Amino acid sequence: METDSHLVLCVDDELIGLQVRKILLERSGYKVLTAQDGLEGLQVFAKEPVEIVVLDYSMPGMNGGEVAVRMRQTKPQVPILLLSAYVGLPAEVTALVNLYMTKGEGAEMLLEKVESLLHTPVSE
Amino acid sequence: MEHSTFKRILLQVFLLPVFALLVMAVALYVDVRGSNSTVDLIQQSDDRITQATLVAKLIVDEESGLRGYQTTSDQRFLEPYNKAQVLLQTQLAALENVPGANQSQKDHLQRLQDGHQTWQVGFAEPLIATIKAGGTANDVEQNLHGKALMDDIRADLDGIIHEAQERRNRRIDRWHLQVRTMLEGIFVLALVMGVIIGLFTRSRLHAVSDAYRTSVETLRLQTNELFESEQELRTTLASIGDGVITCNAEGRIQMMNPVALELTGWTIDEARNQPLEQIFHIVNETTRAIVENPVDKVKRLDRVVGLANHTVLIRKDCTELHIADSGAPIRDKTGRTAGFVLVFRDITLERRTQDALLASEKLAVAGRLAATIAHEIHNPLDSVSNLLYLMRTGATPEESVQFMSMAEQELARVTQISRAMLGLYRESKTPVQVDLREMLQEILLLMERRLTDLGVTVHVEMPDAITIDGFPAELRQVFSNLITNAAEATGKGGNVWVGITPKLATTASGIRTEPGATVQIQDDGPGITAEDQTQIFEPFFTTKGEHGTGLGLWVSRGIVNKHGGKISVQSDTSETSHGTVISVFLATKPTIQPGAD
Repeated sequence: METDSHLVLCVDDELIGLQVRKILLERSGYKVLTAQDGLEGLQVFAKEPVEIVVLDYSMPGMNGGEVAVRMRQTKPQVPILLLSAYVGLPAEVTALVNLYMTKGEGAEMLLEKVESLLHTPVSE
Repeated sequence: MEHSTFKRILLQVFLLPVFALLVMAVALYVDVRGSNSTVDLIQQSDDRITQATLVAKLIVDEESGLRGYQTTSDQRFLEPYNKAQVLLQTQLAALENVPGANQSQKDHLQRLQDGHQTWQVGFAEPLIATIKAGGTANDVEQNLHGKALMDDIRADLDGIIHEAQERRNRRIDRWHLQVRTMLEGIFVLALVMGVIIGLFTRSRLHAVSDAYRTSVETLRLQTNELFESEQELRTTLASIGDGVITCNAEGRIQMMNPVALELTGWTIDEARNQPLEQIFHIVNETTRAIVENPVDKVKRLDRVVGLANHTVLIRKDCTELHIADSGAPIRDKTGRTAGFVLVFRDITLERRTQDALLASEKLAVAGRLAATIAHEIHNPLDSVSNLLYLMRTGATPEESVQFMSMAEQELARVTQISRAMLGLYRESKTPVQVDLREMLQEILLLMERRLTDLGVTVHVEMPDAITIDGFPAELRQVFSNLITNAAEATGKGGNVWVGITPKLATTASGIRTEPGATVQIQDDGPGITAEDQTQIFEPFFTTKGEHGTGLGLWVSRGIVNKHGGKISVQSDTSETSHGTVISVFLATKPTIQPGAD
C-alpha cells in the first residue's frame, strides 16, 4: 500500500469540503496535499511530485480554469480532475482538463474517477 | 384700402359737385349783375325818350296855344301856352336830370333849352305883347323866323329822342348778347364741371373698385388658406395615432377623431353633445373606482393634466382597454377656457410588453441567482455526501462525532442559503415590515461567492435594525441588482460600500420629507458618464453587452417608485476620485403607489 500510494493535490477554497475530501482520499490510500486557493495550489504543484490534481473550479482570485492552464504549462502529464458546484462549465475550460465532475455526485464517483485517471496512460 | 382712405374718397366725391355748384352760382350771380345793369341803362334810355316826348308835346301845346291866340287874339287861347310854359320848366329840368346822358345828348339838350329860350323871348313873347297891344302879327318874315326857331327846337328834340332810341337799341343788343354769353358760359361751365366731376368721380371710383377687388381677392385667398389649414388640421386630427376628444366649456363632446371613436366604441352621432364621462368612462385598474372626469380635473387645476396612472377605459361594449391620457384646456383669445381637449391612447399592448419585460427581468435575476445558489448548495452537498460515505464505510465513534458535526455545519449553511433564497421570491400582496439590515445581510450572503469570484471587497456600514414597510421580494431584487452592478463596475480589487442611514422627517424650504432610511451602495469603479447617467434608468440600456438585459435599473426604479421612494445616482469619472453612489430612499410608512412599476 505504501509503495503504490499516489500523491494527490486537492485545491478548494471550501475548507470543510477540502478536509472531508482529504480524509476520503487518505482512507482510500492516497497521500493528500491541500491548498485553499489557486496560487497556493500552484506552489505546491511546482514543489511536490504531484501525480494527480483534484481542482475546484470556483475559487476567489484565480479560478480552476486558470490554475489548470498554468499547471499544464509546467507539468502537462499530470492528470487534472476538475470539480465544480456549477452544473454547466464553459467548453474551453472542460477541454483543458482530463475529466470533470459536478460536486455532490458522491464519493464513489470521485474515487472511481481519480482511480481511472491514475491508470490511464497519459498521451504523449 | 384703409377705411380712412375710403372715407376721404367719399368726402371728395361729395364735395366736388358742391364746389362746382358754388362756382356756377358765383358765375351766374356775376352775369345776372351785368345784365341787370344793362337793363338799368335801358330803363334810363326809356326814361329819356318818355321825358323828351313829354317835352315835345308841351312845346307843341305852347306853339298851338300861341298860334290860336295869334289867330283869334282871344286870351283864352293863350292858356295852353301858359300852362305848357310852366310845366315845361319842370319837365326840362327832369329831362336834364335823367342820368346817363352823354356829351352829344347834353349838347342837344343845351341847344334845345337855348333854342326854346330864344323862341320864347325872341318870338313868342314879342308876338303876345304885340297882340295884347292890339296890333297884328301877320308879318310873314317874323312868322318864318318863329317857324325856323321852332324847327330847330324840333330837330333838337328829335335828335335827343333818336339818340336815346339808338342807345336803347344798342343796350338791348348788349343785353341780348350778355344773356346769350351768360347762357353759353353757364353751358360751357356746366359742361366742364360735369366732365371734371365725371372724370374725378370715375378715377375715385376706380380706386375704390380696385381696392374692393383687392380686398375681395385677399379675402378669397384668406378664406382659401383658412379652409386649407382647417382641412390640414382635420386631416392631422383624423390621422393622428392617438384618440382626441374635444369638449365645450360645459364638458360636452364636440368632436372625436376616428381613433377616439374606435377606442371608445361609440359613433360620433351618439357621442356629440353628450357629457364626456358618459362616453369616456374610466375607472381605476385595481380599485375599480371611477376616476375623476378629466374635464373636471382640468377645470379644477386649470392646466394641462396627465390622468391618473392605471386607468381603464370601459368601452361601449363593456370591454376594457388600458389607456394613458392627458387633458388640456382650450383657451380663446381672451384666455378664457372655451373647451377642453383630451388625448388618450391604448396602452394595453404596452402594458403587456411591460409586464413581459418585468417577468423576463425576474427570470434573468433568477437565472443569475440560480448559478450562485447551485454553487452554494452543491458545495455543502458534496461535503455531506462524502461524509456519509465515510461513515458508511466504517468510522470510529470519534470520527463519527467529527463527521456529524461537519455535516451539521454544512447543512446549517444550506438551510441559511435556502431561507435567503425563499425570501427572494416570496410574493406578498400587502406591504410587510422589512428589516433593511437583515435583508441586505442576506443578500450579501447569497452574493458572497459571486463577489469573491469578482475579487471585490465589500464594506458594510449598518446601524441597528431599521424597519420599513415594503414588499421584501421586490426590495431584494432592487438591492441585489444594485450590489451586482456596483461589484461588476468596480471589478477585481475594487471596493463596494453598502450602508444604511436613517432619515428623520425634515421640513426644508417648505417641502416635508417623510421619515425613512437611505440605502447607499457605493463603488470605486470607473464611474458613469453624464451622458449614460441620463439613460441608465431606461429599459434595455446596458453597458454590459450581452451579459446584461438592460432592465435591472429600470425595474429597480419602478419598484422604488412603487414604494413611494426615490432612487438617485451620483457619479464621478475623474482620474482620482472616480466611483458611483446609488442612493435609495425608502419611507418608514410609505404610501404604496400600486402599479407605479
